[in-house]
Amino acid sequence: MNRSSMSLSRQRRARKAFRAESAYHATGLAIALFFLAPFAITLLASFRHGTEARLPPLPPWPANGISFDSYRSLDTFGAGVWQHTFNSLLVSLATVALTVAVSVLAGYGFSRYRFPLKNVLFVLIIATLMIPFQSILTPLFIILARLGLNNSLFGLTLVYVTLQLPFSVFMMRNAFDAVPKEIEEAARIDGARDLKLLFRVLMPLVLPGIATVAIFAFLNAWNEFLAALVLLSSNEKYTLPVLMMAVRAGRLGAVNWGAVQAGVAVMTLPCLVVFLLLQRYYMRGLMAGAVK
Amino acid sequence: MNETGVVLTDIRKNFGSLEVIHGIDLRIAEGSFVVFVGPSGCGKSTLLRMIAGLEEVTDGEIEIKGRNVTDLDPSDRGIAMVFQSYALYPHMSVRENLAFGLKMARTETAEIDARVKAASAILKIDHLLDRRPGQLSGGQRQRVAIGRAIVRKPDVFLFDEPLSNLDAELRVSMRIEIARLHRELGNTMIYVTHDQTEAMTLADKIVVLRDGRIEQAGTPREVYENPANIFVAGFIGSPRMNLLDAVWLGNGRVRVAGSEMSVPVAGEGLQSREKVSFGARPEHLFVTDGGEGCIPAKVDFAEYLGGTQYLYCQLADGQPLIAEYRSGPEINAGSTIALSVDNNQRRLFAADGRRLT
Repeated sequence: MNRSSMSLSRQRRARKAFRAESAYHATGLAIALFFLAPFAITLLASFRHGTEARLPPLPPWPANGISFDSYRSLDTFGAGVWQHTFNSLLVSLATVALTVAVSVLAGYGFSRYRFPLKNVLFVLIIATLMIPFQSILTPLFIILARLGLNNSLFGLTLVYVTLQLPFSVFMMRNAFDAVPKEIEEAARIDGARDLKLLFRVLMPLVLPGIATVAIFAFLNAWNEFLAALVLLSSNEKYTLPVLMMAVRAGRLGAVNWGAVQAGVAVMTLPCLVVFLLLQRYYMRGLMAGAVK
Repeated sequence: MNETGVVLTDIRKNFGSLEVIHGIDLRIAEGSFVVFVGPSGCGKSTLLRMIAGLEEVTDGEIEIKGRNVTDLDPSDRGIAMVFQSYALYPHMSVRENLAFGLKMARTETAEIDARVKAASAILKIDHLLDRRPGQLSGGQRQRVAIGRAIVRKPDVFLFDEPLSNLDAELRVSMRIEIARLHRELGNTMIYVTHDQTEAMTLADKIVVLRDGRIEQAGTPREVYENPANIFVAGFIGSPRMNLLDAVWLGNGRVRVAGSEMSVPVAGEGLQSREKVSFGARPEHLFVTDGGEGCIPAKVDFAEYLGGTQYLYCQLADGQPLIAEYRSGPEINAGSTIALSVDNNQRRLFAADGRRLT
């Protein structure tokens, strides 16, 4: 009697735990689906036949078999999708490289060196975040023109790096500040100075910060539209967002929705790849065992 | 032990307009173990960091083995330092941590391997060489930090409170380890601590610092038995020396808490009735039946430690006093006792803190 009531209560507890667990996973699954749905719908829709693309979007998957029509028609816009993807990749990767290089050195300097007007300078750099980018587009255009860098991908890269730096320098200064001073001092006693100290000892410790800066720089450069539209003028130099604008505007009033979906898929993919590649560096705990 | 290992000449340090080290002169014999002690903020760590080259010297000169190193880079001074927080490189294995300094100095690989092997054998960390610091316990990390210092074969080892992050038991065993290391390696070692026991047990020479000045430098015995002033008397020893308000009566006699007693002090220059401080360590106080020179005291609290017992007392004029009581009938809180002081261990300090002889 006693034992059976005990097993009954145990059963009840197990059932309750199971229900709680199921609810937890169901909620998680629902949220995951909610976030994944747009990607899935876009990707599936981009594989529909050309004739199908103009029909209402339900069901969202290709009903008459998979086709690459949309990608083929996307390639007919501008200088071809490969050229524009290449432009975008070039600008984005160069932006990442330059931003990381400058912000690591600047963050290191602001964090570890003492020099006059250090804090004023730092506040000035951060303060530029408050200037709306659109308001300096005209001056930027004029400066680039004077430098002979208008309508050049390098010029565009420089603009992106400039826009990206305040946040990145701030981020890297914080990352270097978080590295215990004793590690640097131990390295100095071991004979590592300046750049050697930076690359051999400190850099591996600020990798999470570098990953964050790189992700932001890549995404912002990859997705940027207005500056690319204003500063670039020849067809073969346009980046993907500008191409997408042309695709979206359509020809003779007819929008090729299949091509739009294909373009969105092409634009999303590198962002996902970059994020998935770098997100593991987000993880903390690299500092474990350094001090204490 | 005769040749001079480290010489500090009129060392000064300013942070902005604030002077924190006020002209320190110190000679450290080669091969000796010197401990800097003092309350927090006394400048002991700053002084050590100046010897290491991590802190700029505002004024003065530092010599190591006869070489002026005042303006040299830390890595060129022939020193190695062990930090309180270990400061291991978290992204490197133990082996890489040990080898890093040698690699920076472009030492040959075979030589690096040999030195790493030797150091890890001395410290018994050979089995940990491929682990990361994050996978080690506190004691193991401290061994690696010491190992990193050993492989450099420095002229001088600098320790900045290396044991403060360890638990009590580990601290004792690491203390013995460091003493053994000093005996085996024979290098000059400079050690900063606020722990009395570490200072007393490890040091050949204790340097007591306060507010950026040396209060006294001497062997542990000298500092303990013959403190140069009232600060050193109160700082060295645990529990601390009892320092009681007293009045100089002349002719080698003082009055303490209403009782008169003689002191082994000439008292030159002292005026009769001048206020002085009377010092006696807890272990030099004895419970007696009373008599000439005894101080009556009321026991507030008795602390039983097994081998010994500390009596926290209050004197007739309200001054607190701690006495050590080793054996005899049990004494409980609330009882009244009479205390006498060992004749040769009675110390007297002037109002300005200087020791009277």
